[in-house]
Amino acid sequence: MGVGNGAREHIIAKKLAESKYRPKVYWVGELQNPGILRICKQSGGEYALCKTTDPEKVVTHALRWGVDFVFVGPEEPNFHGVPDICEKNGIPCIGASSKLAKIEMSKAELRRLQWKYDLKGKLLFKTFRTAEEASRYLEKYSETLTWLQNVALKPARQAGGRGVKVVDDRHIYLHDEKERFKKQHASWLESYMKSFSGIEDKILVEEKVWGPEYTLQCFTDGKVVKGMPLVQDNKNAHEFDIGTETGGMGSISGPGMTLPFITKDEYEESLKIVDSIVKAIQDEVGECYHGVVAGQMMITEVEGPTIIEMYSRFGDPEALNVLSTLKTDLIDICYGIIDGRLSSINIEFEDSVTVVKAVAPKGYPDFRDLAKNHPVIVDEEKIVNEGCEFYWGSADLKDDGSIVTGGSRVCEILCKSDRFEEASERIERCIAYIRLGDGWGLFHRSDIGSLELLARRMDVADRVRRLYRYRLEKGILGRRFDWLPGLGMVDPVATLKKSLMGESV
Amino acid sequence: MHIYRDIYKHIPIFGSLMPGIIGFYPFGEGRENWNACRFLYYGLNALQHRGQESTGLSSLGKDRLLSTINDDVMVEDFFKEKAGSLKEGHIAIGQTSPIKGDGVIYVKEPVELVCVGDGKPDLHPDKVTAFKIFSEKLSQMIYKCGDTLEATKSIIREVHGGYSFIVLTKNEEMICGRDIHGVKPLEIGAIGFDIGIVASETAALDVMGAEHTGSVNPGEVVIFDPLSIRRERCGEPNRKYCSFEYIYLARLDSYLNGISVSKVRENIGRALARERPIQANVVIGIPETALAFAMAYSEEARIPTRIGFVRTGRYTRSAIRPTQLERLTGVQLKLNPVRYSVDNKDVILIDDSVVRGNTLKSTVLDLKRKGAKRVHVKIGSPALVAPCPYGTEVPPRDELIGGNLSEEEISYVIGADSFSFLPISKLVECIGLKESELCMKCFGVDWEVK
Repeated sequence: MGVGNGAREHIIAKKLAESKYRPKVYWVGELQNPGILRICKQSGGEYALCKTTDPEKVVTHALRWGVDFVFVGPEEPNFHGVPDICEKNGIPCIGASSKLAKIEMSKAELRRLQWKYDLKGKLLFKTFRTAEEASRYLEKYSETLTWLQNVALKPARQAGGRGVKVVDDRHIYLHDEKERFKKQHASWLESYMKSFSGIEDKILVEEKVWGPEYTLQCFTDGKVVKGMPLVQDNKNAHEFDIGTETGGMGSISGPGMTLPFITKDEYEESLKIVDSIVKAIQDEVGECYHGVVAGQMMITEVEGPTIIEMYSRFGDPEALNVLSTLKTDLIDICYGIIDGRLSSINIEFEDSVTVVKAVAPKGYPDFRDLAKNHPVIVDEEKIVNEGCEFYWGSADLKDDGSIVTGGSRVCEILCKSDRFEEASERIERCIAYIRLGDGWGLFHRSDIGSLELLARRMDVADRVRRLYRYRLEKGILGRRFDWLPGLGMVDPVATLKKSLMGESV
Repeated sequence: MHIYRDIYKHIPIFGSLMPGIIGFYPFGEGRENWNACRFLYYGLNALQHRGQESTGLSSLGKDRLLSTINDDVMVEDFFKEKAGSLKEGHIAIGQTSPIKGDGVIYVKEPVELVCVGDGKPDLHPDKVTAFKIFSEKLSQMIYKCGDTLEATKSIIREVHGGYSFIVLTKNEEMICGRDIHGVKPLEIGAIGFDIGIVASETAALDVMGAEHTGSVNPGEVVIFDPLSIRRERCGEPNRKYCSFEYIYLARLDSYLNGISVSKVRENIGRALARERPIQANVVIGIPETALAFAMAYSEEARIPTRIGFVRTGRYTRSAIRPTQLERLTGVQLKLNPVRYSVDNKDVILIDDSVVRGNTLKSTVLDLKRKGAKRVHVKIGSPALVAPCPYGTEVPPRDELIGGNLSEEEISYVIGADSFSFLPISKLVECIGLKESELCMKCFGVDWEVK
């Protein structure tokens, strides 16, 4: 049985159904994803609507259907303890328990963990409970802790990519404008975080970094962490890398395990970092991680491969890139995870490149009410004829047979090829086959997979690689240096460590 | 001074180079918290080398009312004196122009919009009027067609010329586009997860703290609305990038159409050194543009370069002064020779372009009076022989020295010991595109509008 109803879950369902074991696929989701529903029916399974953050309800379905194991797609069911309760009821689960999923749910806990265990690939940070506290601190200490000038302001809890603002305050002539914006955003974050319970930190302030981003998704049984091909997601909502942070507007992978702008060494280093986090959180909470774990990473000047955030599950859309090229039977992998013998399973992927583009109704991501409840019309056959794969995302099949938007990315189109631009162009031709029946607008990013965008990523990667490698050679990777007139050398790392002492993770 | 005034009073204004234009557009939660004009102040300052006779600014705030101010002053004075009465808004467009009386064009009906433009649509001989007609046509087309993207595409297909523009409608749509040949540049950048910026040159993006993330392609329309960015081409682009942008107009720190201006100028300096080499003791570049040529020339020819001139007063580009008198005054104040650099030396003097030859003549004479034995003049561009149809106002043909005299004759007129232009074929190599992809009408290479 699978949990969740996005495009990520659609491809998980598809891969499970394609297994040589010919399983019956059962599913629970908050909306009726037409694609998953079809797979369930064809395999002889069932699909039920269910609040996936209510573990009792989820497990009731699993028990009723007598499923062999549960595969959790999104993060929220993990946060709410769906895997915990499944296991309690004797049903194995691919999914991080609520305690392990803290590495994703609380961005602050993740940073504390990284600093406590002194792992590689971490960033300076500071958390706040109120906007007032954050504003005061930013104002007071930007001069003595200079990293506070250029920061990312985030909700301290995972919020589907919402609410992240990066404020680069290097231009002194625009300082007052940036300062004002930081304060206003801090108070927005405070009120936004009121809707989440069970977390004390509300606002996370992190040092701002730059470089190419990529996602490393891994299977783990708690003993070994096995990496999948790297994927690059595109977080900005619009063309030219402009606009609001989203859950991801599209992604590329291949050829092979890395990307054209990430080296083999950086891949290995990234895998070690993700592995170290899995080990640390297991030690910390005393539980065994079995499921999917991912590092949303960046090559940065100060640290080299660096964790921006962790996922306690597949990324969406990143899941599509890796699962579409996965050659190994997904159920074999699942049992490898469940039985704790993942090391003996040979996981293989095709060598091709993949491009995924998400299509979203206008209003996503910040104004979701506008994006909801529009009828969707798709010509799936034509999309398949273009050589692409179609996955339903945030879409709801109604009793009358119509499909309406759920407010997030409504569908994702995937294309496998040996060249990025060819895959991208083929997807572009498919966009015309998707529309909203009421005339409301859809948007997607035409530039994903283009040579232009790839060239830009490579350029950024080259520049930042030169910088971090120099630091590596000098033996100063991971260190920060500030000199303040009148005060002397200041080490923000030491300051941070001191303030963390006494705090428990 | 009276003499100059009399001599030059018949000369038409040569100063209409090209405006610098900018659009600022934030997205997402909290977008209304930004004050766009704060950014435009610095962005427009960064584009002032393109023209500084007038400044115009238009903003759109929460109340969805367009507020516009134009004035015949420089950016700094504009913000000091005028911008205070402009309403704060989170979206804004602006321009700094070499033409007095230019500014943001306002169209009230049928669709209320404001427009800034660079270059010239082929709708009227006068730039300001041409863009006025352009804006009115666009307003009507949007009204008629109902879809802004389709309307803009049909206008670009219909209106020939060489132009780029940024339009802001009352409905919070910011429309950017270039003609099908892409004669005039338009670059795009981003700040964090919030802001998109469109500007004539990437230097303005740098100054505003934005990352350069792409170009508006020839014949492409990019529309920003609060919930999306739409981007479409209207037909196959037929690239004819303005070659003069790379030689002179754009800033050295800009990238235009993916090509570094600095790289082109370095290539030009090297090409000049390889073309008809000359024995000399020192290479001198005329500030500001030709300094980059001189450095590369020096390196290639293995002849040292020195600082040849020191400026008096604040930096202004002499070519964008409106009258010949002002220009000559500007040049003379700008170019006080450093005697020690040239005394008793054979000098290679490099300049970016020659229009009438007056300022160059004055400069060569200055160097000789300060003791230069020989002065060989090298020009980093081909001979200017024809007017620019896209708004870079070059004097009539009979006033262009390069179009009327041979290189040898020019050397006699300006008092130089030799004189040469950069051949057209070399310019093409230096830019690194095909000849068919460049507009070189001012150098006498004609192409027809398809």
